[in-house]
Amino acid sequence: MTVATLPEQPPAGLFAPSWRNWRLALAFAVVAIPLAIVALPAGPAFWASFAAAGLVALTAVVNAWGRYTGGLLVAPAIAVLVMMNIFPLLWSLGLSFFAYRADRQTMNFVALRNYERALTDPVVWDRLTTTALFVVLTVTTQMVIGFLLALLFSKQFPLRRYLLILVLTPMMLSFVAVGAFFRYYYDPSFGLVSQVVNLFADERFVLISTPPGAVAAIVIADAWMWSPFVMLLVLAGLVSVPKHLYEAAAVDRVPAWRRFWFITFPYVKGLLLLALLFRTIEAFKLFDVVFILTDGGQRTETIALYVYRQAIQFNKTSEAAALSYILLFTVIVLTNLYLHLANRRSQGAG
Amino acid sequence: MSMIRRHGLTRLSAASALALVAATAAWAEDVTLTMAVPDWPPTRIMKDLFDQHYKAPSGNTVTLEVDFIPWPDYYTRLNASLTSGEQKYTMAVSDSQWLGAFIEGGFYRQLNDIIDADPEFAATLAGMHPAPFQAYATYPHKSENIYGFPQMPDILVTYARSDVLCHEAEQAAFQERFGEKLPCTVEELDAMDWDMFEKIGQFFQRKAGDNLMGEPLTEDFYGISYQAGKGYDFNTMQINGFIWQYGGNTWDETQAPTGQAEGVVNSPEAVAALEHYLRLLQYMPPVVQTGGMDIFVTDELFREGKTALNVDWIGFAESAINPETSKVADSVVFANMPGLKQEDGSISRWSNIGGQPFVLMTWADETQVKEAVDFVKWWLSPDVQHMFAAQGGQSAIKAVYEDPKYVDYRPWNRTWAAGLDWQKDVWHIPQFFELLVQQQEQFDLAITGQQDAKTTLDNIAAFQQRLLEDAGLIQ
Repeated sequence: MTVATLPEQPPAGLFAPSWRNWRLALAFAVVAIPLAIVALPAGPAFWASFAAAGLVALTAVVNAWGRYTGGLLVAPAIAVLVMMNIFPLLWSLGLSFFAYRADRQTMNFVALRNYERALTDPVVWDRLTTTALFVVLTVTTQMVIGFLLALLFSKQFPLRRYLLILVLTPMMLSFVAVGAFFRYYYDPSFGLVSQVVNLFADERFVLISTPPGAVAAIVIADAWMWSPFVMLLVLAGLVSVPKHLYEAAAVDRVPAWRRFWFITFPYVKGLLLLALLFRTIEAFKLFDVVFILTDGGQRTETIALYVYRQAIQFNKTSEAAALSYILLFTVIVLTNLYLHLANRRSQGAG
Repeated sequence: MSMIRRHGLTRLSAASALALVAATAAWAEDVTLTMAVPDWPPTRIMKDLFDQHYKAPSGNTVTLEVDFIPWPDYYTRLNASLTSGEQKYTMAVSDSQWLGAFIEGGFYRQLNDIIDADPEFAATLAGMHPAPFQAYATYPHKSENIYGFPQMPDILVTYARSDVLCHEAEQAAFQERFGEKLPCTVEELDAMDWDMFEKIGQFFQRKAGDNLMGEPLTEDFYGISYQAGKGYDFNTMQINGFIWQYGGNTWDETQAPTGQAEGVVNSPEAVAALEHYLRLLQYMPPVVQTGGMDIFVTDELFREGKTALNVDWIGFAESAINPETSKVADSVVFANMPGLKQEDGSISRWSNIGGQPFVLMTWADETQVKEAVDFVKWWLSPDVQHMFAAQGGQSAIKAVYEDPKYVDYRPWNRTWAAGLDWQKDVWHIPQFFELLVQQQEQFDLAITGQQDAKTTLDNIAAFQQRLLEDAGLIQ
């Protein structure tokens, strides 16, 4: 075993001053950081805390050097993950239990009041309803269009490769570029949609002049961008269907819809469900296209846009953090529910 | 005096001068003032004037580093910078409504100590028109506490196409239809009220194929436009003017904590004003139905030649007279914003003031504060204010804008002095953004035809009453 080859190290006491004694460094940091935060101004407190954390990291590295090489190798990745993901997550979780605004210096513990306020706010429920509407409409549209595109591109035809690249392009664009593009596209004075419709209609056509029109505009823009993603996943499933199954079905003169249902669909079902999961989670966070196309007007403000206003425009930091955690919890529950159902179906099928 | 002694004295003098120069050089510092500004002509002109003309009186080498930020992102970016604690900016150009939020947050520096210690500077500030001074400098609003100085004062004015309005055939047709003369000269446009504005809207609403100035149009054309957008304050700034002209009021922060929102914000006068504002929208370009007709869109439509009249901030005017950016550059004229005709025949022209002040940040060190104040004093000096106005800016200093040559700098300057007297401002309190966003949403619902004026103002009044009571600003 690898452990047997490790050099023997004398067990260090907690108070033994040594570069290997990470426990002592950790104990020092646990005491020093809160003291620095309480006693020093913000700038020096930050650097003092940074130095204490650095000391812990240094002693841990010295301690692990030559003994836990694997751990040392993954440590930078874990450090980045902690700094960029886990720490902000925990920090915002902590903030959600306080009354704190980014533009103020005060912070008071309020326990669950921010959660209570968010859950009892009718505006939040209205924005959640709007978001749910977008989730259903955008995901359904993308699944249908993506599936049809995949069926189309699973066949060989002239210029297929070039058309495939064109179809995939929207997915590679930035959200802002897509939003700006569709904003001009829908513009009642200069936009292509109005110009074309006006060839056949007397009145000027303005798609975003009503709430249903605004919803349709957003759903179309989002579908344009993300249907290729669904197509890509489904296409991977379609090309994996063994050809001999179709040949056998053709010999038996099986109708087309039965061929699809009993041969094609089982092969793509897993990937289709994966696309459904990804797109549902993303649709729940719908922000950019709404922000650029309507700025939440025509009753299209999603919960993500609402959180942005609370956090960035109104500086209600802790209330926005609480709301974000409610959303995170909702997405996790939905995801697990979905995975549970998917597993049960696959087990049932097996 | 012998030759030798004279030479010796000359050398001594030269050496002393050199020593003085060396000593001065040794004492001179490199000081950088980092400023966040919105990206538009008034701040670009300021930066150019600074680079070309500014010499710090202290002898220090002062550099103005300007972060030009697009207008739509400006509040978000500045707010993020200030609240993150990065302390990047020494100064900023701030919208007047942001004063309360950022002063209470401890970001903007109070300036009374500097002004009190400098009578010359105090005299400069005393020479300003009270409307921009109170809007840009004071917090609480109209108090003695001073936090800012005008960078670019601004008001709403009418942009008009004289080629369309003065065309003989259009003049005759308008006279025949309404029995009135279609305003053509700037004096006639100055005298225009909202009723005439509406008639012009009706008259010039033409479809592609209809005639305009005797020629068939290839695209639809519209008579009038003003801001009616959901973003930022792009409908509030126009609607406030209507409400004040009708004798109504917004929630008045100077009356806190006794002033109410309920009953004031949704008064019958305010409802009539909003109904009037909404009625005119039917004659405007169809983008108004989307809630996207903000100040940038109306400006673009006017410069593209799609509207005959537009009400917008002076800050956009430079691009309207530039042939490179405007198809109507050779025919655009400027007049007062229309107003509401009163029973006595006078026209009420109350309007929401635009423009922005400079502010200094609390973390600026002593040297930076001194250099920033010297820079602001230079900026507000008559010569520089004249240079700014000559390039398209505006001045809030009476001695400058009352100078006869001021009106000749730019065609819109003739509206300036009279317009300033009709300016008011709203909401310098920390909760301004919540008030603004909710009001913008409600006005947008009315603009896009989803609810009537009464419901809209009732919703706004109820929200403001609740929020301001929670904040202790209404008791």
